[in-house]
Amino acid sequence: MTNAGSSTTRTQARTPAQPPVFSVRNLWKVFGPKAGRVPADEKLAALSPEELRERTGCTVAVRDVSFDVRPGECFVVMGLSGSGKSTLVRCLTRLIEPTSGTIAIDGEDVCGMDKGALRSLRRHRAAMVFQHFGLLPHRSVLDNVAYGLEIQGVARAERRAKAAEMVEKVGLAGLEGRRPGQLSGGQQQRVGLARALAADPEVLLFDEPFSALDPLIRREMQDEVVRLNRDEGRTMVFITHDLGEALRVGDRIALMRAGRVVQCGTPEEIVGSPADDYVRDFVRDVPREQVLTVRRAMRPVGGLHETETGAALAPATTVADAIEAVARTGTPARVVDQGRCLGIVDFQGLLNVVAGLDGTQQEPGPEPGPEPGPETRLEKAAA
Amino acid sequence: MSTATTAATATAPRRPRLSPAARRVLLVAAAMAAVAPFAAAHWGSGMWPGALTVHLDGPLGRVNDWIIDNRDSHWLFLYFFGHISNAVVGAVRAVYVVLLALGWAGVTAGASLLAWRLAGVRAAVTALASFAVCGLLGMWVPTMRTLALMVVAVAVSVAVGALLGLAAGLSDRTFRALRPVLDTMQALPAFAYLLPVVLVFGIGVAPAVLATVVYAAPPMARLTALGLRGTDKGVLEAVTSLGTTPRQRLLTARLPLARRELLLGVNQSIMMALSMAVIASVIGADGLGDRVYQALSTVDVGAALAAGVPIVLLAITLDRTTSGLGQEGHNRTRTRATAEWATAAAATAAAAWAAHGKTWPHGLTVHIESATNRAKDWLVDHLSHGIPGIGGTADWAAHYTGWVLDPLRTALQSTPWWAAPFVVAALAWAIGTWRTALTSAVSLALIGVLGRWEPAMDTLSQVLAAVAVTLVLGIAIAVAAARSRRVERVLRPVLDVFQTMPQFVYLIPVVALFGVGRAPAAAAAVVYALPAVVRIVSQGLRQADPAALESARSLGATGGQQLRQVQFPLARAELLLAVNQAVVLVLSVVIIGGLVGGGALGYEVVFGLAQGDLATGLTAGTAIACLGLMLDRVTQPTKAPAHKEDA
Amino acid sequence: MTFRRKTAVATAALGLLTVAVTGCGAADMTRQASPYANAAGAKTVTLSVQSWVGARANEAVAQYLLEHELGYRVDTVQVDEIPAWDALSQGRVDAILEDWGHPDQEKRYVRDKKTVTDGGELGVTGHIGWWVPKYFADAHPDVLDWKNLNRYASQLRTAESGGKGQLLGGSPSYVTNDKALVKNLNLDYQVVFAGSEAAQITQIKQFAKDRKPFLTYWYEPQWLFNEVPMVEVKLPEHTDACAEKGAADPSTVDCAYPTTPLRKYLNAQFAQKGGKAAALLRNFRWSKADQNEVAQLMAEDRLSADEAAKRWVKRHPDVWKAWLP
Repeated sequence: MTNAGSSTTRTQARTPAQPPVFSVRNLWKVFGPKAGRVPADEKLAALSPEELRERTGCTVAVRDVSFDVRPGECFVVMGLSGSGKSTLVRCLTRLIEPTSGTIAIDGEDVCGMDKGALRSLRRHRAAMVFQHFGLLPHRSVLDNVAYGLEIQGVARAERRAKAAEMVEKVGLAGLEGRRPGQLSGGQQQRVGLARALAADPEVLLFDEPFSALDPLIRREMQDEVVRLNRDEGRTMVFITHDLGEALRVGDRIALMRAGRVVQCGTPEEIVGSPADDYVRDFVRDVPREQVLTVRRAMRPVGGLHETETGAALAPATTVADAIEAVARTGTPARVVDQGRCLGIVDFQGLLNVVAGLDGTQQEPGPEPGPEPGPETRLEKAAA
Repeated sequence: MSTATTAATATAPRRPRLSPAARRVLLVAAAMAAVAPFAAAHWGSGMWPGALTVHLDGPLGRVNDWIIDNRDSHWLFLYFFGHISNAVVGAVRAVYVVLLALGWAGVTAGASLLAWRLAGVRAAVTALASFAVCGLLGMWVPTMRTLALMVVAVAVSVAVGALLGLAAGLSDRTFRALRPVLDTMQALPAFAYLLPVVLVFGIGVAPAVLATVVYAAPPMARLTALGLRGTDKGVLEAVTSLGTTPRQRLLTARLPLARRELLLGVNQSIMMALSMAVIASVIGADGLGDRVYQALSTVDVGAALAAGVPIVLLAITLDRTTSGLGQEGHNRTRTRATAEWATAAAATAAAAWAAHGKTWPHGLTVHIESATNRAKDWLVDHLSHGIPGIGGTADWAAHYTGWVLDPLRTALQSTPWWAAPFVVAALAWAIGTWRTALTSAVSLALIGVLGRWEPAMDTLSQVLAAVAVTLVLGIAIAVAAARSRRVERVLRPVLDVFQTMPQFVYLIPVVALFGVGRAPAAAAAVVYALPAVVRIVSQGLRQADPAALESARSLGATGGQQLRQVQFPLARAELLLAVNQAVVLVLSVVIIGGLVGGGALGYEVVFGLAQGDLATGLTAGTAIACLGLMLDRVTQPTKAPAHKEDA
Repeated sequence: MTFRRKTAVATAALGLLTVAVTGCGAADMTRQASPYANAAGAKTVTLSVQSWVGARANEAVAQYLLEHELGYRVDTVQVDEIPAWDALSQGRVDAILEDWGHPDQEKRYVRDKKTVTDGGELGVTGHIGWWVPKYFADAHPDVLDWKNLNRYASQLRTAESGGKGQLLGGSPSYVTNDKALVKNLNLDYQVVFAGSEAAQITQIKQFAKDRKPFLTYWYEPQWLFNEVPMVEVKLPEHTDACAEKGAADPSTVDCAYPTTPLRKYLNAQFAQKGGKAAALLRNFRWSKADQNEVAQLMAEDRLSADEAAKRWVKRHPDVWKAWLP
């Protein structure tokens, strides 16, 4: 679980000043007759899903969702089935037409795009990887990977060369001639990934890409995604129902319930400072020491002597690692960032984190309250 | 949903323990009780009252006369139908000339190589043997004519069917509009299609081709639409997410993914076309069907067999070749495939050249006619009477007619006319929806309005009796097949062959065995419908959930108990489908049975064709269509889960 | 919107294409030969075959002579009597060799449309009536008068006829007044249609084999008489008044069938341009005995049409030599 730590590092390394890749504001998706009236009417919008179904026959999949996806980050949308996360990701490229709200990619309005512009968006800027792969069974691996280029009108030789490169990259070299039916699930998803990568898109959208795979394969694939994110700096939107997966790959996580985002923040914030009981319930079984960092466990420097002694730890060090360090030396450790001592971690602080008693004393955690505006949440996450 | 259903649903909780089906039957019974006294008082209770019929003979006869008088002068014929007719005839002629130019060697070699490339070595051997036998039996020229007609008819059917299917596959509205039409067309007997085209085009090859197209295009359209609509949603979404245009989606994803359905559609179109091309001999299609027709009209079983065998072989060859489409050659490289096609073409050309494009050599024929006739005479002499204990075929035929058909016909014909539509509606609604109930009741009433009540009840009695026999035999055989692998292994190829046979062929042996009348028509119908029933039922029994069977066995159920209490209930859907298929197939043959003394509606169509009295024929044809529609809908279990909610 | 426009453009293009292909011309489907005619360089004559064996005998001999003496190729198509007139008019069939009298059709095609020409008499006279087997007539001579038929109804009962006596009806392609006769003469009989002549013959032979009585619609010349001797039942005499009444309303007929001299008809164009074939068919004229001889060879001795014709041709050169142009 070291990746979670390193991803935090990644986020912090980037300047938050860059404009977001995707900017979603007040997005609604309502299924059913005359869906448009639901978001428009405050009374209807305030109804619970059951009441709404009773009254209008409509189902709300996405309810007033806002967030930004920053360049280079892996933004995870997590929720149980039926929470609206898959609908949400499809709205981003209008595979599902949103009911209301705005979506912008690099500041450009997606909802206002005509068919041609939308196709161009799908072809060049955002590629998607699907849970059930969506491969063409009558084509070879190579032709599947080259498919995206083919429909763009890229010449045969060129697209095959590019596809071969992608196949190699996802580790399927030698299987180019096979058909999807002759591959294992993991291999098929690699083909899906290669197909998405072939067009060299700005953003990769993943819709529960690994939930159909065996645990071991899933882990391999997750590493692959993390590698892609870190090495190539690709922006990603990653949908999952698996909290472990979200914590592994995500720089930030938006947790959805019944169409709403109930909390949005770094893995550490989600685990360390659950916004409400639902989230708390959700993260209960997460090994906190592997997600939370020493920032959460440290106390202010008590005296000057403390700045001199003990092991020096980076602020992004996980509590688990810190425990090891403190146990080995037998003395409290210092949290040092760029030569400055930020605080001290001792047994007491570390144990508090592991025991989950740290929640109240932490200040950067978001106040558990009803629906903080996206703006404030984002600021907090960025802090 | 209608208000009627809502009412039934609303009152449901108050009624104690009535199944939805029973509730509906009660509802219909109530409606009938309301109408009956009035109807009976006004028009009596016998057959459909004359006051409620419409006589179309006059107007239809005038239309017929007008068409004949204006066929060479009116613009509709000169600029529209005329071109269609000429194009069809021109195309058939072109294909026929090519076939003749290829000669027997060229055609045989070409067909075998084509079969080899499309479906592998076994199909090639089948094709080779089949064409050789056609030649040997002295049927080369008729075979080529049927083939020429088939090539044109199938090409047009597939094109038309694919276009319709495409429209229905891409547009929901078209699909909703087209689907009931296609379903209905599939349930209609081939005979009903003949008259309208004869009315417009007269007798000849052009109307035969057109009737064939009308008959053979629906399965293609249906399967194309289903194939396109059945595209894996995930794949389609993935392809869309990559930025495809709708056209790209169609060409690179939907069509290739529907490949299986498309090929099945082509196969079905071909088999339907062959069946119709043979029947269309009644309207001047020439070819093999004409030989059978000529032979049947002189009860020359030998000659009929000599023409029937090539039809059977043609059917097997076409089926094997097209159902094997795409089974082989998947992994071959493009260049190799091209090379093989080139070789095949070259070999065909070489064979054609070597044989100088001759039709089958005269010396190389075998005459089976007289031998067959002697065998048939012997059979009739020895089997028709006096086999100790079980009587003979003629006795069976007499008993079947006297003890089964006659009482049933009397019963049907003496059912009060106003009760029949209600009975039908109740039956249809019990297993279907109010829509099917309404359609079937209206269809039946329409028969009465057309004034064909009496012959329709006659036909109906023949259908019901034959369906009963078919189901009893079919289910018995299916149970045997489902319980024993060996029986199934023996049965399978037999069923395969029987299922591809054109209906016409079945008339030949039954005339030999059962003579003439309603009994042979019933026998032919039973034999024709049996394979489908056996196949569907045995499949249903086999597919019964093994876990349920195992648990039944673990509780100590006997074989019979398992069958009755687990397999049959679980195979309910298949059993209903089997009944539906049996009804549709039996009807189609009972109608053709008019050619061998089946009488009733089928006879009226034959009569209409023979006398050029298209008014009679068309009325009977419409009545047949109504009967077909009614029978299909009555036995059609609904697929919509609409009434699950009120259960 | 764009889709609509595209559809419109496509429809227009298709329309133009159709017009271009068809050359804006009229296509008369009433002058359209069989697609199989004259293929591969052969001169073809298409004959209509009728289902009864007498007609087949004509056709067999004509075919044999056309093929072996004049070098034509002969196609035969089975068409029933009345549709055959239409087919003849359209040129899908070149000749009918035995017509039993269809005044309506004759008026329409020969006199009005002039697409069919009279090909002269066949030389055979046809007669239709009701017949009983000779063994039955011998045992019960009074059955031969229609007035006594009701007395025998019970003996003629079958499974198909229900409670009444069975009158075996003719093939659907023949002109029959049987139902009207039964009704108008108050006969206790049910007309049972065999569906085809072949079916009827089978039935008759079966009855004869079992020496059972039967009453049937039948006609002569017919070879079956040689095998199953039958005697005609006298019906009320055929009169012109009765015939006129019947022409107006077929359901009022109450008299016997007429006696018809059989005729040949040719397609008008074929009659003009058919050369030797048309001439041969026009000259074709033979006797009842000749026709029965060939018919018997075919139907009873089970010879192929070709073989039967060959034998007759060998035996009677005096007859057919005169037909050759």
